[in-house]
Amino acid sequence: MSSSSDHDGNPPPPPSFHFSDDERGSSSATTEIVNTIPRSVTSSWIPRKRNLDEDDASISWRKRKKHFFILSHSGKPIYSRYGDEFKLAGFSATLQAIVSFVENGGDSVKLVRAGKHQVVFLVEGPIYLVCISCTEEPYDSLRGQLELIYGQMLVILTKSINRYFEKNPKFDMTPLLGGTDIVFSSLIHSFSWNPGTFIHAYTCLPLAYATRQVAGAVLQDVADSDVLFATLMCRHMVISLVGAQKTSLHPDDMLLLSNFVMSSESFRTSESFSPVCLPRYNPSAFLYAYIHYFDADTYLILLTTSSDAFYHLKDCRIRVEMVLLKSNVLSEVQRSLLDGGMHVDDLPPAPCSGSSHLIQNRLPSDSPERFKEPNLGIAGPAGLWHFIYRSIDLDQYVSSEFSPSINTVQQRKRLYRAYQKLFVSMHDKGIGPHKTQFRRDENFVLLCWVTQDFELYAAFDPLADKALAINTCNRVCQWVKDVENEIFLLGGSPLSW
Amino acid sequence: MGLSSSSSNEEIQLCIFDIRRGQNEGEEMDKILFFFPNSSPFSKQLSLIGLTEALITFTSIFSPHSPCDSIHAQFHSHIFHQPEPDIWFILLLSKINDSEPLWTDHALRNFLKHIHSLFVMFHGSVRSILEKEPSGGLIRRYLYSFIMDYLRDFIVGKKLHLPSFRDCLKEHGTVQMLTISRDAAIEVQSLVKELEPSAGNTPCHSLVLYQDLLVSTTLSPDDTINLFTYAVLRLTPHALSSGASSWSYLRKGNNASNTVIEHPSSMSESFYGSSDTSPSEDNHYHIVRPLQPDKWSKGKDGYLVTDLWGAEVGTWVFATPTVWLQQSGERMYLCAYQHRSLTLILLIPVSSIPNGEQGVSAVKQQVLENASLKILKVEEKLSKGWGGENAYHVSGYRYLLLDGDRNVSRASPATKVTTLSKESLLAMNKLRQEVELEKSRAKLDSDGCEKDLEVCIRAKNNAWVIARTTRGKELYMVLEKANETLLYASDAVEKFSNRYCDGTFSLD
Repeated sequence: MSSSSDHDGNPPPPPSFHFSDDERGSSSATTEIVNTIPRSVTSSWIPRKRNLDEDDASISWRKRKKHFFILSHSGKPIYSRYGDEFKLAGFSATLQAIVSFVENGGDSVKLVRAGKHQVVFLVEGPIYLVCISCTEEPYDSLRGQLELIYGQMLVILTKSINRYFEKNPKFDMTPLLGGTDIVFSSLIHSFSWNPGTFIHAYTCLPLAYATRQVAGAVLQDVADSDVLFATLMCRHMVISLVGAQKTSLHPDDMLLLSNFVMSSESFRTSESFSPVCLPRYNPSAFLYAYIHYFDADTYLILLTTSSDAFYHLKDCRIRVEMVLLKSNVLSEVQRSLLDGGMHVDDLPPAPCSGSSHLIQNRLPSDSPERFKEPNLGIAGPAGLWHFIYRSIDLDQYVSSEFSPSINTVQQRKRLYRAYQKLFVSMHDKGIGPHKTQFRRDENFVLLCWVTQDFELYAAFDPLADKALAINTCNRVCQWVKDVENEIFLLGGSPLSW
Repeated sequence: MGLSSSSSNEEIQLCIFDIRRGQNEGEEMDKILFFFPNSSPFSKQLSLIGLTEALITFTSIFSPHSPCDSIHAQFHSHIFHQPEPDIWFILLLSKINDSEPLWTDHALRNFLKHIHSLFVMFHGSVRSILEKEPSGGLIRRYLYSFIMDYLRDFIVGKKLHLPSFRDCLKEHGTVQMLTISRDAAIEVQSLVKELEPSAGNTPCHSLVLYQDLLVSTTLSPDDTINLFTYAVLRLTPHALSSGASSWSYLRKGNNASNTVIEHPSSMSESFYGSSDTSPSEDNHYHIVRPLQPDKWSKGKDGYLVTDLWGAEVGTWVFATPTVWLQQSGERMYLCAYQHRSLTLILLIPVSSIPNGEQGVSAVKQQVLENASLKILKVEEKLSKGWGGENAYHVSGYRYLLLDGDRNVSRASPATKVTTLSKESLLAMNKLRQEVELEKSRAKLDSDGCEKDLEVCIRAKNNAWVIARTTRGKELYMVLEKANETLLYASDAVEKFSNRYCDGTFSLD
C-alpha cells in the first residue's frame, strides 16, 4: 500500500483498506493490518550481515556483546538481532518461561545479572522485549533502548497488534514485520552513535539563521489543515519543523520516524505515502507520511491523518522544493554537512564579558585567577575532546565534532557509553537530577552540569585539570549561546512539548 | 515461588540449597538445606529454587563462569551467592519503592558471604558435612542453629533488618583497626612474639583487640575478618556486657535478645529431623551453637569461658572451642583472654596438643606466666592513647575508607553518619552501587587491573557525594553544608587524603 510512483503523473494505487478518520489519526482497521506494511520496506531489501547461520548453540552467537529479542507472550520469536528467529524458537520459549514464571508470582522481572552480563526485560502487553548485554551500559539505558525498539515496532504496526493476540494468543507476528529487520538493526546501531537515543532530544543541522527561516516559512506555508507535521530533515538532523496548532512531536517519535525513513532504502528512490504510527503522539493509530528525498541526505516528511491526501501532499512538496531550490537551501545544507558541526578547536577564548544570563549561570569555580592562560584548555593534555549541550526549553541538543584525540569508532562508542552512564547517574529516578558531576577514569574526564535551562556533558583528556575543565565548560556554554541562532531551531514554532 | 508479597514474614527469605541433591521428580525438597522463614509453604520454597535453577542454567549460556548474581523484579529482588560448588545461598527481599533502593547487591552478597565463611570457620564446609552425613539431616541442623543464631542480631521486633542505605558508609565484613603510637606498636609486637611459641614447635596465632578494634593479627586477612567478627559479636567486653552484637547497626537500637526465635524443634519434623537438636539428646553429633548469645563469660583467671562446646567426654570441664583456619585448613583451639578493654585471642594448633583439655590448660597457664606483664603494659599504653568512641570522627566529613586488599575499613562514627539527610545517604548508596558494578566488571576483565576512579556529585540537596578508588583502596565521602564549587570539594578530599590516608587519594 505504500504507493510509489516513478513519475509525478502516475497516481498511486488506491489504498486497499479503509480507515475511519479522527482527530488524532485513524485507528487501524482490523483485518487489513497485514497490508499496512509499507511495500517500500518489505520489498527486495537484503538485510545486512545478520549471521543467519547462528543460533543459541553457536559459540559465536553466545559471545555477541549485545543481543536484542522481541517475542510474543506465547514464546514465539518475532525479532532477534543475531541469528535466525526460526532456529531460536527454543531459546525464545525459555525467555518467555522466565517472564511468565515471575508473572505468575504477581511480579514482573526487570533485570537479571550474571557476571558481566545483564538480561533486561520489558513487557509491553503481549510483546516481550529482551536485551542480553555484556556492554557496560547501565540498566536504565538498556531499558530505554528496549522502549525505543518497542516504539519502532509501533511505528510500523501500532498498538492495535494487541488485538490479534487477544483473539489468538499464538498469533504469529513475523509476517507483519517481514523485511523490517533493517529498521531495527539500524535503530540498534544508532544506540552507539546517536545521542538522541538516550538524551531524548533532537538535533539540528547547523545553518545560517536566514536559511533556516526560509525553510521554516515554506513549511509553515504548506502546514494547513491536512498537514499535521511538516519536517525537513538531513540525515538524523532537523533542518526545520512545523506542526499544526496545539500539536506536538516528541523527540523520540522524530528519532523513530527518521530511523524508519532512513533505513528503508525504497523511500530514497521514489516519493512514498506510507502509514506510520507515532507512539508518543498516539500509539494506537496510524498517520500517513508523505516522504520525499530531495537528494541523498535531505528529505521531507509531511504527516497527515488523511489517507487520501497523497496528491495534495505531493503538491505541497513541489511548492517546498521550488522554494528550497530557488533560495539555495539544499546547497547550503550540503555545505553544512561538509563543514560539520561545532569543532572543539574553534572554542573561543574566555569572554571578557558574557551576557548577564550566563554569568548568573556559570558553573562555579573558586578562583578565576587560576586561569592565567584561558586557551590552555583547548589543546594538549587538558584538552576538551567533545561536548553535548541540551537546551531543556527547546528539547534540542547539539553535539560537537570529535577532537582528533577521539578518532576511532571504538573510542567514540566508548565515549557515548560513558555519556549514557553519566546521563543515567545524573537523572536518577529517585534522587535526581543531580546538579553537577565530575567523573574521572582511565579514559576520560567527564563533567556534567544540569541547570533549569540546559544540560552540558563534556569530555576531556583524563589528565585534565579540574579548574581548567570548569573554565572550559563555562566557555562552551557561552559559545553555544552565541551561536544558538545557527545550531538550534528557535521560536516561531508552535511545538510546545 | 516466593515472589508474591502478602504477609509480613515474606519480606525476607533466605534459602540454602544444593543443586546436586533431589534429582528425581518428587524429591526436589531434598535440595533445600535451609529456609527462612521455615513457616514458608513448601510450594513456595520449591518455586524459589526452581526459578533459581532455571536462571542459573539460562545465564550459563552467556556467562558460564559466573552464572546468576541477582534478579530484580518490580516488587522483589533475589541475591545469589555460590560459596561452594553447587551450594547456593539466595536472599529474597521485597522492595518498598523501586526508585529508592534500600540496599545494594554488593552489601547483601557480603552478608551472605559472611554467614558462610563464619559457618565454615566453626563447622567446616557445607559439602564436607554433607559427605559425612549424606542424608542431609546433620547439615540442616547445623545450618539452622547457626543461621538462626546469626540472624538474631538482625531481628528487631519480628522483622529481619538487613544492611540498608543508611549503612552506606559502612562495609560489612571488614575489620576496623585501632591506630596506635609507635611505642605502643613495639609493645604489641613484643607481646605477639612472646605468644607465638606457646605451644612448642608449631607456632600459635594471635589477635589482639582493644575495645571493638583490632590492634594486631598474625592471621591471613580472611581468617582475621572471621575471628574479628566473632570476637566483636561475642567476646569483647562490650559484647559480654550487652549480650548484643556491637558491630551490628542495631547495637544502639533494640536489644535483639528479647525476640523469640522459633526453636528448631518447632520446625517441620519430616524436614529437619525430629528431636535430636538439643545437645543432651544426641551424643553422636553434638550441634555446637557458637553464636548463641550470652554464653561467654569471664573466668577468674581472665580467660573467657563458655559451655557452648559442651564438656570434655567423661568430665565436667568445658571443652575449649575450636575453629578451622581458612588459609591453612588447620584446626585450632580458641582461647580468649581479657584484661580490661583488651581482648587477646590465642589460637593453638589442635595437632600440637596431644593431651586435649589438659594440654590446653597448661598452655593457658604458661601464657599467663610469661605474658601477663606484657599484656598489662600493652593495655595501659593503648588506653592512654585511646581517643574514645569518636576517635575517628573528622569534623565536617562523613566518610568510609576501605582497603580491599586487607579487608580493613574505617568510617565516621555511626552517630555522626545519622546526622546526614536521607537524600545524601540515598545518593551515596547509589554511587556505591555504581562503583561496585565498575569494580566487579574490572575484576572479571582478563587484565584484572584495579579501577582508578574519581566521582564527585553535587546532589539535588547540595551535598557533595564523592567516591575515589585507587590501587585497591576506596574512599567515600559525603559533605553536607559545603561550598558549591567542585574545586572546594576536591580540595576537601585532598586535605583528608593527605592527613588521614598518607596521600593515597591525592592527585599530585
